[in-house]
Amino acid sequence: MCGIVGYIGRRDATPILIQGLKRLEYRGYDSFGLATVGSAVEVYKKAGRISDSEAGASGLAGSTGIGHTRWATHGEPNDVNAHPHIDCTGRIAVVHNGIIENYSDLKRQLTERGHTFLSETDTEVIAHLIEEHYDGDLLAAVNAILPLLEGSYAILAITENTQRIVAARDASPLVLGVGDAEVFAASDMTPLLEYTERVIFLEDGDVADITPDRYTIYHDGRVVERPIELINWCVEDARKGGFAHYMLKEIYEQPQSFYETIRAGIDDHVRQMIMEADEITLVACGTSYHTTLAFKYLAESFCNLPVRVEVGSEFKYFTPPLRGLVIAVSQSGETADTIAALKMAKARNCPTLAITNMQGSTVTRVADETILMRAGPEIGVAATKSYTAQLAALMQIINLRCDGAFDDALSHAHIAIGDVLLQELHEAVDLCAKAEHVFFVGRGPFYPVSMEGALKMKEISYIHAEGYAAGELKHGPFALLTPETPVVAVCTPGPTYGVMASNIKEMKARKAPVIALGVAGDTELAGFVDIFIPIPNTHLLVQVLTASVVLQLLAYHTACALQRDVDKPRNLAKSVTVE
Amino acid sequence: MIRLQAVILAAGEGSRLRPLTRSKPKAMLPVANRPIIEYVIDALLENAIRDIVVVVGYRKEDAIRHLNRLDAPIQIVVQERQLGTADALRAAEPEITGDFLVLPGDNYVNAESIARIKRERNAMLVAEHPNPSNFGVVVIRKGLVREIIEKPEDAPTFTVATGVYSFTRDVFSCLQTNEIPDTLSAMIASGQRIHAIPADDWQDAIYPWDLLKLNSRMLRSITPEIAGMVDASVIRRGNVRIGAGTTIGPNTVIYGPVTIGSNCNIGPNCVIMPDTSIGDRVVLEPFTYVSDSLIMNDVTVGSHSRIVAAVFGQGCILADHTTTYPSASFIEVCGRIQREEFGAILGEGVRAAPFTTFKNCIIGNGVTVEGGKTVVGLIEDGTRVM
Repeated sequence: MCGIVGYIGRRDATPILIQGLKRLEYRGYDSFGLATVGSAVEVYKKAGRISDSEAGASGLAGSTGIGHTRWATHGEPNDVNAHPHIDCTGRIAVVHNGIIENYSDLKRQLTERGHTFLSETDTEVIAHLIEEHYDGDLLAAVNAILPLLEGSYAILAITENTQRIVAARDASPLVLGVGDAEVFAASDMTPLLEYTERVIFLEDGDVADITPDRYTIYHDGRVVERPIELINWCVEDARKGGFAHYMLKEIYEQPQSFYETIRAGIDDHVRQMIMEADEITLVACGTSYHTTLAFKYLAESFCNLPVRVEVGSEFKYFTPPLRGLVIAVSQSGETADTIAALKMAKARNCPTLAITNMQGSTVTRVADETILMRAGPEIGVAATKSYTAQLAALMQIINLRCDGAFDDALSHAHIAIGDVLLQELHEAVDLCAKAEHVFFVGRGPFYPVSMEGALKMKEISYIHAEGYAAGELKHGPFALLTPETPVVAVCTPGPTYGVMASNIKEMKARKAPVIALGVAGDTELAGFVDIFIPIPNTHLLVQVLTASVVLQLLAYHTACALQRDVDKPRNLAKSVTVE
Repeated sequence: MIRLQAVILAAGEGSRLRPLTRSKPKAMLPVANRPIIEYVIDALLENAIRDIVVVVGYRKEDAIRHLNRLDAPIQIVVQERQLGTADALRAAEPEITGDFLVLPGDNYVNAESIARIKRERNAMLVAEHPNPSNFGVVVIRKGLVREIIEKPEDAPTFTVATGVYSFTRDVFSCLQTNEIPDTLSAMIASGQRIHAIPADDWQDAIYPWDLLKLNSRMLRSITPEIAGMVDASVIRRGNVRIGAGTTIGPNTVIYGPVTIGSNCNIGPNCVIMPDTSIGDRVVLEPFTYVSDSLIMNDVTVGSHSRIVAAVFGQGCILADHTTTYPSASFIEVCGRIQREEFGAILGEGVRAAPFTTFKNCIIGNGVTVEGGKTVVGLIEDGTRVM
């Protein structure tokens, strides 16, 4: 999880590194640190957010440097455990994203050989190992120690008196940005957008030797060529502009990102793969898991296609028997559990497809084929536009299997999404902000929509929320209903309208206040609920989208009413790159 | 020397332009496929004024997203409640360091006008208008403003305030009410000199039909550019702009000035006549004729339609044989009886069945019209016309 960034060139490294770390804060924000090659290796590190203490780092000199923003795995977030880590002599500094699984063994051996450890982190062993092998050639030293490391890593290392960064990756992401007599390195491309559009995605096992004018990439000791790819994101997409939060900006970008993803279509290889599948298994985590669940409901009912959905972190250890197409869904393309699951599917000879937002990310290399969603950079930790863009990709699969039956619905869906963004939610927000618990209920595809609504509410407003299939509420959770426990119910026309309406009346009978999402003009429903939120009366596929967007807005405004840190909720990071 | 700053006021809804302002403020309404505010920003940039603050409020999200994508770095300030222009100016106060211009984001003003006023401190840009009663009427003596009369029944002159001002930072201490003209009156009363600078070119859109005039005005300056897929048999004359991803089918005739956005699907056999703007993702089905109209994003017009002097809000879906029929009748807008010749003004998401005729009417957002009807007058939002 953590984010790393490096710069080497002619400019002052510190401001570039700080700006880059701010862009990467979504990957972790417990603590941060920088190291530059100045008169010696100069290090500044601090617990807390970058914005709180960036001034302290401004004294670092030099045009070569590395930086790190942390999501703590080994050792609590404090100044000492923050990266970069240095060796005993203070000549070598290292930042690292990933987990060194054998670090306790290495640490014991190093301590026996007289090294002094300052921190509790796994990363510090890398600095001391490099120290042992360093005789003036940083590249040779890094190459010598990589075989000793078990686990995952993306590493950047610098030493004193040398304008050089050595980078290495294995199972953690690392991207190089190629500028004019300057080179950037980062965990993903968002910090690079401001400076260059030419990027190189390093492969697992690559080691890069970087100087201002030149970079050389080695794999297994041999020089290799990695293609320079052009990225089509623009830096405006990664800026907050005048919005109060990235999350709000991203919510409002959804009509566009949905449309773009639909418009991008599905290429012929993927098309064939989808048409040939007689069974689909999807693997995903978090919000992506909810999109795949919604897909299951929709695909099974519209195209009579058996679909199974698995949580990535479970799949690895309890792999079910696999047949047919396996689809991995991950916004970042770096979700460790999802990638592990994808590898297992490949090992069983299943055709594999990745749906991701990140060009060049790990899932795109592991999977046979990729559908790239066009959400653009998502910086808010709570997934919003990537959720609807994933649904765009998945709904296209359904549309394909139904011979284009939903062309019209999907190509007009962005209008309906834009429409619900105008929705006033004051009353519902007031009700939720006062509550300690909120239930979200729906039936059919609105069950995963409710789960997602609950997840959004939990993660950014810290209100305890649960998503349930509406019928399941009677099997236990009913005991929790009180006049202070709002229930958010999605009730739209269709076969379940009648039962859903009676479910709502049952909740009302227990005096729980009900906030209902129904189609515009449904006066009957509006008549017996406390707060009625209309969504446009459109195709079911589109209702899934619009209902989800309303629940995002509800969570957002509730969190704002409670003055939560919407973009950086406590304890969370955006991409979960550790298991 | 401190650089001149500019504050653009874009927080107001523009309620007289309803139903078109449902999802965006007036400053964001497109004419010739660009929001009005962009023409204001262009005029400032031509005068080398790059330090621009925009005050947003009503439906601010749309405006912010758009402004962030412009090349010029724009500082955005939010006016939480739309109390008036002086209140909006107050919201921008922390960003202002020295002398500055104030401009409405929802009026067209050209670069020459700005060049004239930027030389003066404490000045207002004035213009002649045939219907001064919709504006603040300005009485001028020896180049100085004597009096401002807000929206008078009987205007003493045809000179009106354009809403463009040049101020020093001292003005913030004079902002007593929520409207800038009150501030000016107070300044004049206390003996300060306010210069009246005549505008070179300025145009406002007060009512929805004014957008058609502004649209044809702005279409005069478009630069021709053809992206997208234009069939070889298409006949083009005059200045025509066609955006990326747009398909123009065979035998379509386009007489500029016409601008067409991206990802549209037009034709075959359509006719697009001068003074027409067509937004993004618009579908014009075969054998449809469009002239002198402003069609916003995501509109579909069925085949065999005849669209003249019409403004269509985004997302309207009109079936085949739709007609807009220009004529003049009396319509009451915001308490005033108006008589103006135009075809139709449709709000967002209007749906019409085949063979609908719109005759000199203003149709609210989300109205549905059943087949074969002729619609006249003012129809409220969400109405079903049976």
